Amino acid sequence: MKKTSIASALLAALALSSNVSAQTIDISITNLTHAQHFTPRLVIAHDSSIDAFEPGVEASSALAWLAEAGVIDDAQSIDSSGQNFEALLGPVDNDNTSNTWHRFDGLVAPSTTVSYPFDTMDKPYLSILAMLVPTNDAFVGLDSIAIPTEPGTYTYTLHAYDAGTELNDELNSTRTDIVAQGGAALGGYGVPGVAGVGASPVPLGTGGTGVAVTVGFDQDGNAIGANEVVDGTDGPVHIHRNVLGDTSLTDGASDLQSTEHRWLNPVARVTITIPAP
Amino acid sequence: MKTKLFKLSLLTLLVTLATGCVDDGDTGAVGPQGPAGVDGSDGADGQDGNDGANGTNGNTAVYTVQITNLTYSQPLSPAAIIMHEPGYYAFVEGQSASVELEQLAEGGDPSGIVSTASTQVQFLDGIATSGPIGPRSIGSESTLVVPDLDADNLRLSIATMLVDTNDAFTGLNAMDISNMEVGDSRAFMAPSWDSGTEANLETADTMPGPAAAAAGGGGTAAGFDAARDDLFDRVRLHAGAVTNANANDASKEGLSTSILTEADRWDNPTAKILVTRTR
Repeated sequence: MKKTSIASALLAALALSSNVSAQTIDISITNLTHAQHFTPRLVIAHDSSIDAFEPGVEASSALAWLAEAGVIDDAQSIDSSGQNFEALLGPVDNDNTSNTWHRFDGLVAPSTTVSYPFDTMDKPYLSILAMLVPTNDAFVGLDSIAIPTEPGTYTYTLHAYDAGTELNDELNSTRTDIVAQGGAALGGYGVPGVAGVGASPVPLGTGGTGVAVTVGFDQDGNAIGANEVVDGTDGPVHIHRNVLGDTSLTDGASDLQSTEHRWLNPVARVTITIPAP
Repeated sequence: MKTKLFKLSLLTLLVTLATGCVDDGDTGAVGPQGPAGVDGSDGADGQDGNDGANGTNGNTAVYTVQITNLTYSQPLSPAAIIMHEPGYYAFVEGQSASVELEQLAEGGDPSGIVSTASTQVQFLDGIATSGPIGPRSIGSESTLVVPDLDADNLRLSIATMLVDTNDAFTGLNAMDISNMEVGDSRAFMAPSWDSGTEANLETADTMPGPAAAAAGGGGTAAGFDAARDDLFDRVRLHAGAVTNANANDASKEGLSTSILTEADRWDNPTAKILVTRTR
Protein backbone atom coordinates (compact mmCIF):
# COMPACT_ATOMS: atom_id res chain seq x y z
CA MET A 1 0.00 0.00 0.00
CA LYS A 2 2.72 2.43 0.97
CA LYS A 3 4.76 1.54 -2.06
CA THR A 4 1.83 2.42 -4.32
CA SER A 5 1.25 5.82 -2.80
CA ILE A 6 4.93 6.68 -3.04
CA ALA A 7 4.94 5.56 -6.64
CA SER A 8 1.88 7.58 -7.54
CA ALA A 9 3.22 10.64 -5.75
CA LEU A 10 6.41 10.27 -7.75
CA LEU A 11 4.41 9.89 -10.92
CA ALA A 12 2.41 13.01 -10.14
CA ALA A 13 5.64 14.95 -9.53
CA LEU A 14 7.07 13.77 -12.82
CA ALA A 15 3.87 14.63 -14.62
CA LEU A 16 4.11 18.19 -13.36
CA SER A 17 7.67 18.64 -14.52
CA SER A 18 7.50 16.95 -17.90
CA ASN A 19 5.06 15.32 -20.25
CA VAL A 20 5.21 11.75 -19.04
CA SER A 21 3.72 9.45 -21.61
CA ALA A 22 2.01 6.66 -19.74
CA GLN A 23 0.89 4.60 -22.71
CA THR A 24 0.61 5.83 -26.27
CA ILE A 25 -1.49 3.57 -28.42
CA ASP A 26 -2.31 3.78 -32.11
CA ILE A 27 -5.96 4.16 -33.09
CA SER A 28 -7.11 3.72 -36.68
CA ILE A 29 -10.68 4.36 -37.81
CA THR A 30 -12.22 3.20 -41.10
CA ASN A 31 -15.48 4.67 -42.38
CA LEU A 32 -17.46 1.72 -43.75
CA THR A 33 -20.46 3.72 -45.01
CA HIS A 34 -21.33 4.56 -48.59
CA ALA A 35 -21.91 8.32 -48.35
CA GLN A 36 -21.75 9.42 -44.71
CA HIS A 37 -18.80 11.41 -43.37
CA PHE A 38 -17.57 11.23 -39.77
CA THR A 39 -17.14 14.59 -38.01
CA PRO A 40 -14.04 15.22 -35.83
CA ARG A 41 -13.55 12.26 -33.50
CA LEU A 42 -13.82 12.56 -29.75
CA VAL A 43 -11.46 9.98 -28.27
CA ILE A 44 -11.68 9.50 -24.48
CA ALA A 45 -9.60 7.27 -22.23
CA HIS A 46 -11.42 7.06 -18.94
CA ASP A 47 -12.30 5.20 -15.76
CA SER A 48 -15.66 3.60 -14.95
CA SER A 49 -17.13 6.91 -13.74
CA ILE A 50 -17.36 8.24 -17.31
CA ASP A 51 -20.02 6.95 -19.71
CA ALA A 52 -20.26 9.13 -22.83
CA PHE A 53 -23.37 7.29 -24.01
CA GLU A 54 -25.47 4.29 -23.01
CA PRO A 55 -28.29 2.67 -25.03
CA GLY A 56 -31.56 3.00 -23.13
CA VAL A 57 -30.37 6.11 -21.25
CA GLU A 58 -31.18 9.74 -22.20
CA ALA A 59 -28.37 11.63 -23.93
CA SER A 60 -26.46 14.38 -22.12
CA SER A 61 -26.36 17.88 -23.61
CA ALA A 62 -22.75 17.11 -24.52
CA LEU A 63 -23.85 14.11 -26.57
CA ALA A 64 -26.61 16.21 -28.19
CA TRP A 65 -24.03 18.79 -29.29
CA LEU A 66 -21.83 16.06 -30.76
CA ALA A 67 -24.64 14.12 -32.46
CA GLU A 68 -26.58 17.10 -33.81
CA ALA A 69 -23.74 19.45 -34.70
CA GLY A 70 -20.47 17.50 -34.49
CA VAL A 71 -19.33 19.84 -31.69
CA ILE A 72 -17.02 18.63 -28.92
CA ASP A 73 -15.50 21.76 -27.40
CA ASP A 74 -15.62 25.58 -27.11
CA ALA A 75 -13.07 26.04 -29.89
CA GLN A 76 -15.51 24.53 -32.37
CA SER A 77 -18.53 26.45 -31.12
CA ILE A 78 -18.55 29.02 -28.32
CA ASP A 79 -22.31 28.60 -28.19
CA SER A 80 -21.75 25.11 -26.83
CA SER A 81 -19.65 26.39 -23.91
CA GLY A 82 -20.67 24.81 -20.62
CA GLN A 83 -22.75 22.14 -22.34
CA ASN A 84 -20.25 20.25 -24.46
CA PHE A 85 -17.88 17.35 -23.80
CA GLU A 86 -15.11 19.80 -22.85
CA ALA A 87 -17.35 21.02 -20.01
CA LEU A 88 -18.23 17.45 -19.04
CA LEU A 89 -14.71 15.99 -19.15
CA GLY A 90 -12.30 18.85 -18.40
CA PRO A 91 -9.43 20.44 -20.37
CA VAL A 92 -8.23 18.77 -23.56
CA ASP A 93 -5.05 16.62 -23.56
CA ASN A 94 -4.91 16.81 -19.78
CA ASP A 95 -5.01 14.16 -17.09
CA ASN A 96 -8.46 14.99 -15.72
CA THR A 97 -8.11 12.15 -13.17
CA SER A 98 -11.23 10.36 -14.40
CA ASN A 99 -10.33 10.84 -18.07
CA THR A 100 -8.15 12.29 -20.78
CA TRP A 101 -9.51 13.19 -24.20
CA HIS A 102 -8.54 14.56 -27.60
CA ARG A 103 -10.37 15.89 -30.64
CA PHE A 104 -8.95 14.46 -33.85
CA ASP A 105 -9.85 17.09 -36.39
CA GLY A 106 -11.05 16.86 -39.96
CA LEU A 107 -13.63 14.63 -41.58
CA VAL A 108 -13.29 10.92 -42.30
CA ALA A 109 -14.69 10.39 -45.79
CA PRO A 110 -16.53 7.19 -46.75
CA SER A 111 -14.25 4.21 -47.47
CA THR A 112 -11.20 5.92 -45.98
CA THR A 113 -9.05 5.22 -42.94
CA VAL A 114 -7.23 7.60 -40.63
CA SER A 115 -4.97 6.74 -37.72
CA TYR A 116 -3.53 8.60 -34.77
CA PRO A 117 -1.32 8.08 -31.75
CA PHE A 118 -3.20 8.65 -28.50
CA ASP A 119 -1.84 8.88 -24.95
CA THR A 120 -4.27 7.00 -22.70
CA MET A 121 -2.52 8.21 -19.49
CA ASP A 122 -3.13 4.72 -18.10
CA LYS A 123 -6.93 5.04 -18.00
CA PRO A 124 -8.58 1.61 -18.32
CA TYR A 125 -11.38 2.28 -20.84
CA LEU A 126 -11.66 3.81 -24.29
CA SER A 127 -14.63 5.49 -25.98
CA ILE A 128 -14.80 7.07 -29.43
CA LEU A 129 -17.64 9.21 -30.83
CA ALA A 130 -18.26 11.06 -34.08
CA MET A 131 -21.36 12.35 -35.82
CA LEU A 132 -22.52 10.92 -39.14
CA VAL A 133 -23.19 13.73 -41.62
CA PRO A 134 -25.55 14.40 -43.23
CA THR A 135 -28.01 13.16 -40.58
CA ASN A 136 -30.13 14.74 -37.85
CA ASP A 137 -28.46 13.15 -34.83
CA ALA A 138 -26.76 9.90 -35.80
CA PHE A 139 -23.37 9.10 -34.30
CA VAL A 140 -20.89 6.27 -34.46
CA GLY A 141 -19.79 5.05 -31.06
CA LEU A 142 -17.20 2.82 -29.41
CA ASP A 143 -18.77 2.12 -26.02
CA SER A 144 -16.25 1.94 -23.15
CA ILE A 145 -14.10 -1.00 -24.23
CA ALA A 146 -11.41 -2.21 -21.82
CA ILE A 147 -8.08 -1.08 -23.31
CA PRO A 148 -6.03 -4.23 -23.93
CA THR A 149 -2.85 -4.52 -21.89
CA GLU A 150 -1.02 -7.13 -23.95
CA PRO A 151 0.91 -5.75 -26.95
CA GLY A 152 -0.90 -6.54 -30.18
CA THR A 153 -3.52 -5.37 -32.66
CA TYR A 154 -7.19 -5.43 -31.73
CA THR A 155 -10.14 -4.82 -34.07
CA TYR A 156 -13.64 -3.60 -33.17
CA THR A 157 -16.68 -2.93 -35.36
CA LEU A 158 -18.86 0.04 -34.44
CA HIS A 159 -22.57 0.72 -34.79
CA ALA A 160 -24.52 3.86 -35.64
CA TYR A 161 -26.61 5.14 -32.74
CA ASP A 162 -29.42 7.68 -32.65
CA ALA A 163 -28.86 10.21 -29.86
CA GLY A 164 -32.62 10.64 -29.61
CA THR A 165 -32.31 14.38 -29.12
CA GLU A 166 -33.86 15.35 -32.45
CA LEU A 167 -36.53 13.87 -34.72
CA ASN A 168 -35.14 12.39 -37.93
CA ASP A 169 -36.88 14.85 -40.24
CA GLU A 170 -34.22 14.46 -43.01
CA LEU A 171 -34.76 18.07 -44.08
CA ASN A 172 -31.95 19.91 -45.87
CA SER A 173 -30.79 22.60 -43.44
CA THR A 174 -29.72 24.96 -46.23
CA ARG A 175 -33.38 25.41 -47.09
CA THR A 176 -35.03 28.70 -46.18
CA ASP A 177 -38.58 27.82 -47.20
CA ILE A 178 -38.90 25.86 -43.93
CA VAL A 179 -37.88 27.13 -40.49
CA ALA A 180 -37.88 25.72 -36.98
CA GLN A 181 -40.98 26.26 -34.88
CA GLY A 182 -40.56 29.86 -33.65
CA GLY A 183 -38.67 30.98 -36.74
CA ALA A 184 -35.05 29.89 -36.24
CA ALA A 185 -33.13 28.63 -39.28
CA LEU A 186 -32.63 24.88 -39.72
CA GLY A 187 -29.21 23.48 -38.86
CA GLY A 188 -27.23 22.01 -36.00
CA TYR A 189 -27.84 21.90 -32.24
CA GLY A 190 -31.30 22.55 -30.89
CA VAL A 191 -32.99 23.11 -34.25
CA PRO A 192 -34.45 20.69 -36.81
CA GLY A 193 -32.76 19.76 -40.07
CA VAL A 194 -29.77 17.63 -40.96
CA ALA A 195 -26.31 19.05 -40.22
CA GLY A 196 -23.27 18.69 -42.46
CA VAL A 197 -25.09 19.16 -45.75
CA GLY A 198 -21.89 20.49 -47.35
CA ALA A 199 -20.02 17.29 -46.51
CA SER A 200 -22.28 15.07 -48.57
CA PRO A 201 -20.59 13.61 -51.66
CA VAL A 202 -23.94 13.84 -53.47
CA PRO A 203 -26.34 16.79 -53.49
CA LEU A 204 -29.28 16.81 -51.10
CA GLY A 205 -32.81 17.47 -52.29
CA THR A 206 -34.76 20.58 -51.37
CA GLY A 207 -38.42 19.65 -51.72
CA GLY A 208 -38.89 17.00 -49.05
CA THR A 209 -41.98 17.25 -46.85
CA GLY A 210 -40.23 15.69 -43.85
CA VAL A 211 -39.72 12.22 -42.40
CA ALA A 212 -40.98 11.53 -38.84
CA VAL A 213 -42.45 15.07 -38.81
CA THR A 214 -45.15 16.94 -40.69
CA VAL A 215 -44.30 20.49 -41.62
CA GLY A 216 -46.90 22.81 -40.10
CA PHE A 217 -47.78 20.46 -37.22
CA ASP A 218 -46.27 19.54 -33.85
CA GLN A 219 -45.77 15.97 -32.60
CA ASP A 220 -49.34 15.84 -31.24
CA GLY A 221 -50.82 16.92 -34.57
CA ASN A 222 -51.60 20.50 -33.48
CA ALA A 223 -51.12 23.18 -36.15
CA ILE A 224 -48.06 25.44 -35.93
CA GLY A 225 -46.78 27.95 -38.53
CA ALA A 226 -47.41 26.63 -42.04
CA ASN A 227 -43.68 26.65 -42.91
CA GLU A 228 -42.52 25.60 -39.43
CA VAL A 229 -41.15 22.23 -38.36
CA VAL A 230 -41.10 21.02 -34.77
CA ASP A 231 -37.85 20.25 -32.91
CA GLY A 232 -38.99 17.09 -31.11
CA THR A 233 -37.04 14.29 -29.45
CA ASP A 234 -37.02 10.52 -29.92
CA GLY A 235 -34.75 9.32 -27.13
CA PRO A 236 -33.27 7.62 -25.18
CA VAL A 237 -30.13 6.61 -27.08
CA HIS A 238 -30.75 3.59 -29.33
CA ILE A 239 -29.47 1.91 -32.48
CA HIS A 240 -30.29 4.18 -35.42
CA ARG A 241 -33.00 2.76 -37.67
CA ASN A 242 -31.07 4.13 -40.69
CA VAL A 243 -32.09 7.12 -42.76
CA LEU A 244 -35.04 6.65 -45.09
CA GLY A 245 -34.23 8.94 -48.02
CA ASP A 246 -36.02 8.93 -51.32
CA THR A 247 -35.07 9.05 -54.98
CA SER A 248 -36.30 12.58 -55.70
CA LEU A 249 -34.36 15.84 -55.28
CA THR A 250 -37.50 17.93 -55.62
CA ASP A 251 -40.26 16.15 -53.70
CA GLY A 252 -40.95 13.02 -51.65
CA ALA A 253 -40.61 12.93 -47.88
CA SER A 254 -36.83 13.19 -47.51
CA ASP A 255 -34.07 15.47 -48.75
CA LEU A 256 -31.59 12.61 -48.35
CA GLN A 257 -31.11 10.07 -51.12
CA SER A 258 -32.16 6.50 -50.42
CA THR A 259 -29.66 5.18 -52.95
CA GLU A 260 -26.65 6.97 -51.40
CA HIS A 261 -27.13 8.00 -47.79
CA ARG A 262 -28.34 4.75 -46.24
CA TRP A 263 -26.09 2.40 -44.30
CA LEU A 264 -26.27 -0.86 -42.41
CA ASN A 265 -24.26 -1.65 -39.30
CA PRO A 266 -21.41 -1.82 -38.75
CA VAL A 267 -20.52 1.69 -39.92
CA ALA A 268 -16.92 1.81 -38.72
CA ARG A 269 -13.96 -0.40 -37.95
CA VAL A 270 -11.51 0.63 -35.25
CA THR A 271 -8.11 -0.99 -34.93
CA ILE A 272 -6.09 -0.40 -31.78
CA THR A 273 -2.41 -1.23 -31.66
CA ILE A 274 -0.81 -1.64 -28.26
CA PRO A 275 2.97 -1.25 -28.71
CA ALA A 276 5.52 -3.54 -27.12
CA PRO A 277 6.86 -1.91 -23.92
CA MET B 1 11.10 -20.44 18.91
CA LYS B 2 14.01 -18.29 17.78
CA THR B 3 13.87 -16.31 21.01
CA LYS B 4 14.07 -19.45 23.07
CA LEU B 5 17.13 -20.80 21.27
CA PHE B 6 18.95 -17.51 21.71
CA LYS B 7 18.32 -17.49 25.44
CA LEU B 8 19.56 -21.04 25.83
CA SER B 9 22.88 -20.33 24.15
CA LEU B 10 23.38 -17.25 26.33
CA LEU B 11 22.98 -19.41 29.41
CA THR B 12 25.55 -21.85 28.12
CA LEU B 13 28.04 -19.03 27.75
CA LEU B 14 27.47 -17.88 31.34
CA VAL B 15 28.03 -21.37 32.59
CA THR B 16 31.31 -21.59 30.70
CA LEU B 17 32.58 -18.37 32.28
CA ALA B 18 31.61 -19.47 35.81
CA THR B 19 33.56 -22.67 35.45
CA GLY B 20 36.73 -20.96 34.23
CA CYS B 21 40.11 -22.46 35.44
CA VAL B 22 42.39 -21.39 38.45
CA ASP B 23 46.13 -22.19 38.28
CA ASP B 24 49.12 -21.77 40.64
CA GLY B 25 51.12 -24.97 40.02
CA ASP B 26 50.04 -28.09 38.36
CA THR B 27 46.96 -28.00 36.54
CA GLY B 28 44.33 -29.56 38.68
CA ALA B 29 41.85 -32.06 37.58
CA VAL B 30 39.03 -30.75 35.61
CA GLY B 31 36.29 -29.73 37.97
CA PRO B 32 32.90 -31.28 37.86
CA GLN B 33 30.51 -29.91 35.33
CA GLY B 34 28.39 -27.13 36.69
CA PRO B 35 24.66 -27.56 37.02
CA ALA B 36 22.64 -27.00 33.95
CA GLY B 37 21.25 -23.50 33.59
CA VAL B 38 17.56 -22.86 34.17
CA ASP B 39 15.34 -23.01 31.14
CA GLY B 40 14.63 -19.70 29.42
CA SER B 41 11.12 -18.24 29.64
CA ASP B 42 8.63 -19.00 26.88
CA GLY B 43 8.53 -16.74 23.80
CA ALA B 44 5.60 -14.40 23.06
CA ASP B 45 2.51 -15.95 21.52
CA GLY B 46 2.39 -16.03 17.69
CA GLN B 47 -0.09 -13.83 15.75
CA ASP B 48 -3.48 -15.18 14.77
CA GLY B 49 -3.66 -16.93 11.40
CA ASN B 50 -5.46 -15.38 8.35
CA ASP B 51 -9.19 -15.87 7.96
CA GLY B 52 -10.15 -18.88 5.91
CA ALA B 53 -11.45 -18.39 2.32
CA ASN B 54 -15.19 -18.02 1.83
CA GLY B 55 -16.90 -21.33 1.49
CA THR B 56 -18.65 -22.22 -1.77
CA ASN B 57 -22.37 -21.95 -1.44
CA GLY B 58 -24.09 -25.10 -2.55
CA ASN B 59 -21.70 -25.54 -5.52
CA THR B 60 -23.84 -23.37 -7.80
CA ALA B 61 -22.94 -20.60 -10.22
CA VAL B 62 -25.42 -17.73 -10.41
CA TYR B 63 -25.83 -15.37 -13.35
CA THR B 64 -27.99 -12.37 -14.13
CA VAL B 65 -29.11 -11.67 -17.69
CA GLN B 66 -30.31 -8.20 -18.74
CA ILE B 67 -31.67 -7.31 -22.18
CA THR B 68 -31.60 -3.76 -23.59
CA ASN B 69 -33.99 -3.05 -26.47
CA LEU B 70 -31.90 -1.09 -28.99
CA THR B 71 -34.69 -0.42 -31.49
CA TYR B 72 -36.53 2.85 -32.03
CA SER B 73 -40.07 1.48 -31.92
CA GLN B 74 -40.18 -2.33 -31.75
CA PRO B 75 -41.28 -3.70 -28.35
CA LEU B 76 -39.56 -6.97 -27.42
CA SER B 77 -41.87 -9.74 -26.24
CA PRO B 78 -41.36 -11.79 -23.06
CA ALA B 79 -38.09 -13.65 -23.60
CA ALA B 80 -36.97 -17.26 -23.39
CA ILE B 81 -33.62 -17.31 -21.54
CA ILE B 82 -31.90 -20.69 -21.32
CA MET B 83 -28.53 -21.76 -19.93
CA HIS B 84 -27.34 -25.12 -21.15
CA GLU B 85 -24.43 -27.37 -21.98
CA PRO B 86 -23.15 -27.52 -25.58
CA GLY B 87 -25.36 -29.47 -27.99
CA TYR B 88 -28.76 -27.82 -27.49
CA TYR B 89 -30.03 -25.33 -30.08
CA ALA B 90 -33.30 -23.37 -29.88
CA PHE B 91 -32.96 -22.85 -33.63
CA VAL B 92 -30.54 -23.55 -36.47
CA GLU B 93 -30.04 -21.12 -39.34
CA GLY B 94 -31.06 -22.69 -42.65
CA GLN B 95 -33.35 -25.22 -41.02
CA SER B 96 -37.09 -24.95 -40.41
CA ALA B 97 -38.13 -23.53 -37.06
CA SER B 98 -39.64 -25.66 -34.29
CA VAL B 99 -43.30 -25.03 -33.48
CA GLU B 100 -42.14 -23.55 -30.16
CA LEU B 101 -39.90 -21.03 -31.96
CA GLU B 102 -42.81 -20.24 -34.30
CA GLN B 103 -45.01 -19.50 -31.25
CA LEU B 104 -42.34 -17.10 -29.99
CA ALA B 105 -41.54 -15.44 -33.33
CA GLU B 106 -45.16 -15.03 -34.46
CA GLY B 107 -46.98 -14.66 -31.15
CA GLY B 108 -44.37 -13.52 -28.63
CA ASP B 109 -44.92 -16.55 -26.36
CA PRO B 110 -41.62 -17.88 -24.90
CA SER B 111 -43.11 -20.63 -22.69
CA GLY B 112 -42.96 -23.41 -25.29
CA ILE B 113 -39.27 -22.90 -25.99
CA VAL B 114 -38.39 -23.01 -22.28
CA SER B 115 -40.55 -26.04 -21.45
CA THR B 116 -39.28 -28.01 -24.45
CA ALA B 117 -35.69 -27.07 -23.65
CA SER B 118 -36.15 -28.27 -20.08
CA THR B 119 -36.64 -31.83 -21.36
CA GLN B 120 -33.24 -31.83 -23.05
CA VAL B 121 -30.24 -33.44 -21.36
CA GLN B 122 -28.16 -30.30 -21.91
CA PHE B 123 -30.67 -28.07 -20.08
CA LEU B 124 -29.43 -26.40 -16.89
CA ASP B 125 -31.83 -23.54 -16.15
CA GLY B 126 -34.40 -21.51 -18.07
CA ILE B 127 -36.78 -18.61 -17.61
CA ALA B 128 -39.73 -17.33 -19.61
CA THR B 129 -39.75 -13.66 -18.58
CA SER B 130 -43.02 -11.83 -17.99
CA GLY B 131 -43.87 -8.63 -19.80
CA PRO B 132 -42.32 -6.91 -22.81
CA ILE B 133 -39.28 -4.63 -22.95
CA GLY B 134 -40.23 -1.30 -24.50
CA PRO B 135 -38.27 0.31 -27.32
CA ARG B 136 -35.10 2.19 -26.33
CA SER B 137 -35.16 0.82 -22.81
CA ILE B 138 -33.25 -1.46 -20.46
CA GLY B 139 -35.09 -4.54 -19.20
CA SER B 140 -35.02 -5.97 -15.69
CA GLU B 141 -32.48 -8.60 -14.63
CA SER B 142 -33.31 -12.31 -14.73
CA THR B 143 -31.39 -14.67 -12.44
CA LEU B 144 -30.31 -18.15 -13.54
CA VAL B 145 -28.61 -20.79 -11.41
CA VAL B 146 -26.49 -23.62 -12.81
CA PRO B 147 -24.17 -26.20 -11.22
CA ASP B 148 -20.71 -24.73 -10.61
CA LEU B 149 -19.25 -27.72 -12.49
CA ASP B 150 -20.85 -26.44 -15.70
CA ALA B 151 -19.41 -22.92 -15.50
CA ASP B 152 -16.35 -23.94 -17.53
CA ASN B 153 -18.41 -25.03 -20.55
CA LEU B 154 -21.64 -23.04 -20.56
CA ARG B 155 -23.94 -21.77 -23.30
CA LEU B 156 -26.64 -19.07 -23.28
CA SER B 157 -29.62 -19.08 -25.65
CA ILE B 158 -32.18 -16.26 -25.78
CA ALA B 159 -35.16 -15.58 -28.02
CA THR B 160 -37.53 -12.60 -27.92
CA MET B 161 -39.89 -11.37 -30.64
CA LEU B 162 -39.84 -7.98 -32.34
CA VAL B 163 -43.54 -7.54 -31.73
CA ASP B 164 -44.43 -5.18 -34.59
CA THR B 165 -43.40 -7.73 -37.21
CA ASN B 166 -44.76 -10.96 -38.62
CA ASP B 167 -42.08 -13.30 -37.29
CA ALA B 168 -38.86 -11.47 -36.46
CA PHE B 169 -36.93 -12.30 -33.30
CA THR B 170 -33.64 -11.40 -31.68
CA GLY B 171 -31.51 -13.16 -29.08
CA LEU B 172 -28.48 -15.40 -28.81
CA ASN B 173 -27.90 -18.79 -30.40
CA ALA B 174 -25.94 -20.99 -27.94
CA MET B 175 -23.48 -18.19 -27.10
CA ASP B 176 -20.37 -19.43 -25.30
CA ILE B 177 -20.24 -17.89 -21.81
CA SER B 178 -17.75 -20.37 -20.34
CA ASN B 179 -15.22 -19.55 -17.64
CA MET B 180 -16.74 -16.36 -16.25
CA GLU B 181 -15.36 -15.53 -12.81
CA VAL B 182 -17.62 -14.20 -10.07
CA GLY B 183 -18.04 -10.49 -10.80
CA ASP B 184 -17.31 -10.81 -14.53
CA SER B 185 -19.69 -9.24 -17.04
CA ARG B 186 -19.96 -9.89 -20.76
CA ALA B 187 -22.04 -7.88 -23.24
CA PHE B 188 -23.31 -9.22 -26.55
CA MET B 189 -24.91 -7.29 -29.41
CA ALA B 190 -27.62 -9.40 -31.06
CA PRO B 191 -28.83 -9.43 -34.68
CA SER B 192 -32.40 -10.21 -35.82
CA TRP B 193 -33.64 -13.39 -37.41
CA ASP B 194 -36.69 -14.20 -39.50
CA SER B 195 -38.18 -17.49 -38.30
CA GLY B 196 -39.30 -18.20 -41.88
CA THR B 197 -42.67 -19.43 -40.64
CA GLU B 198 -44.92 -16.60 -41.84
CA ALA B 199 -44.99 -14.31 -44.89
CA ASN B 200 -43.95 -10.76 -44.03
CA LEU B 201 -47.23 -9.14 -45.05
CA GLU B 202 -46.95 -6.41 -42.38
CA THR B 203 -50.75 -6.27 -42.10
CA ALA B 204 -52.90 -5.63 -39.01
CA ASP B 205 -54.36 -9.13 -38.98
CA THR B 206 -51.00 -10.93 -39.12
CA MET B 207 -49.02 -9.08 -36.44
CA PRO B 208 -49.76 -9.12 -32.67
CA GLY B 209 -48.17 -5.83 -31.55
CA PRO B 210 -49.33 -2.29 -30.78
CA ALA B 211 -48.72 -1.06 -34.35
CA ALA B 212 -51.24 -3.61 -35.63
CA ALA B 213 -53.62 -2.84 -32.76
CA ALA B 214 -53.54 0.85 -33.69
CA ALA B 215 -54.55 -0.17 -37.20
CA GLY B 216 -57.52 -2.17 -35.96
CA GLY B 217 -55.88 -5.58 -35.67
CA GLY B 218 -53.22 -7.10 -33.45
CA GLY B 219 -53.71 -9.27 -30.39
CA THR B 220 -53.47 -13.02 -29.96
CA ALA B 221 -55.58 -13.79 -33.05
CA ALA B 222 -53.02 -11.99 -35.21
CA GLY B 223 -50.10 -13.83 -33.59
CA PHE B 224 -49.34 -17.53 -33.92
CA ASP B 225 -50.73 -19.28 -37.00
CA ALA B 226 -49.65 -22.86 -37.60
CA ALA B 227 -49.66 -22.39 -41.39
CA ARG B 228 -46.20 -21.91 -42.90
CA ASP B 229 -46.57 -19.51 -45.80
CA ASP B 230 -43.18 -17.79 -46.08
CA LEU B 231 -41.15 -18.09 -49.28
CA PHE B 232 -38.74 -20.52 -47.62
CA ASP B 233 -39.48 -22.37 -44.38
CA ARG B 234 -35.99 -21.72 -42.98
CA VAL B 235 -34.62 -19.59 -40.16
CA ARG B 236 -32.42 -16.82 -41.55
CA LEU B 237 -31.24 -13.31 -40.75
CA HIS B 238 -34.06 -10.80 -41.17
CA ALA B 239 -33.97 -8.38 -44.11
CA GLY B 240 -35.80 -5.66 -42.17
CA ALA B 241 -39.33 -4.32 -42.32
CA VAL B 242 -40.26 -2.80 -45.68
CA THR B 243 -43.01 -0.51 -44.24
CA ASN B 244 -45.31 1.80 -46.18
CA ALA B 245 -42.79 4.65 -46.42
CA ASN B 246 -42.14 5.69 -50.03
CA ALA B 247 -44.99 3.43 -51.15
CA ASN B 248 -46.85 5.99 -53.19
CA ASP B 249 -44.12 8.26 -54.52
CA ALA B 250 -42.37 7.75 -57.80
CA SER B 251 -39.89 5.28 -56.28
CA LYS B 252 -42.64 2.92 -55.06
CA GLU B 253 -39.95 1.52 -52.80
CA GLY B 254 -42.43 0.91 -49.98
CA LEU B 255 -45.19 -1.65 -49.40
CA SER B 256 -48.49 0.19 -49.70
CA THR B 257 -50.42 -2.58 -47.89
CA SER B 258 -48.09 -2.46 -44.85
CA ILE B 259 -49.47 -0.84 -41.69
CA LEU B 260 -45.91 -0.23 -40.49
CA THR B 261 -44.30 3.18 -40.98
CA GLU B 262 -40.70 4.21 -41.45
CA ALA B 263 -40.50 4.56 -37.66
CA ASP B 264 -40.92 0.78 -37.31
CA ARG B 265 -37.72 0.07 -39.23
CA TRP B 266 -34.58 -1.07 -37.43
CA ASP B 267 -30.95 -1.83 -38.08
CA ASN B 268 -28.95 -4.50 -36.32
CA PRO B 269 -28.10 -4.99 -33.53
CA THR B 270 -31.60 -4.91 -32.04
CA ALA B 271 -30.72 -6.11 -28.54
CA LYS B 272 -27.81 -5.78 -26.14
CA ILE B 273 -27.47 -8.66 -23.70
CA LEU B 274 -25.49 -8.20 -20.51
CA VAL B 275 -24.52 -11.34 -18.59
CA THR B 276 -23.02 -11.02 -15.11
CA ARG B 277 -21.87 -13.85 -12.88
CA THR B 278 -22.83 -12.93 -9.33
CA ARG B 279 -21.78 -16.13 -7.48
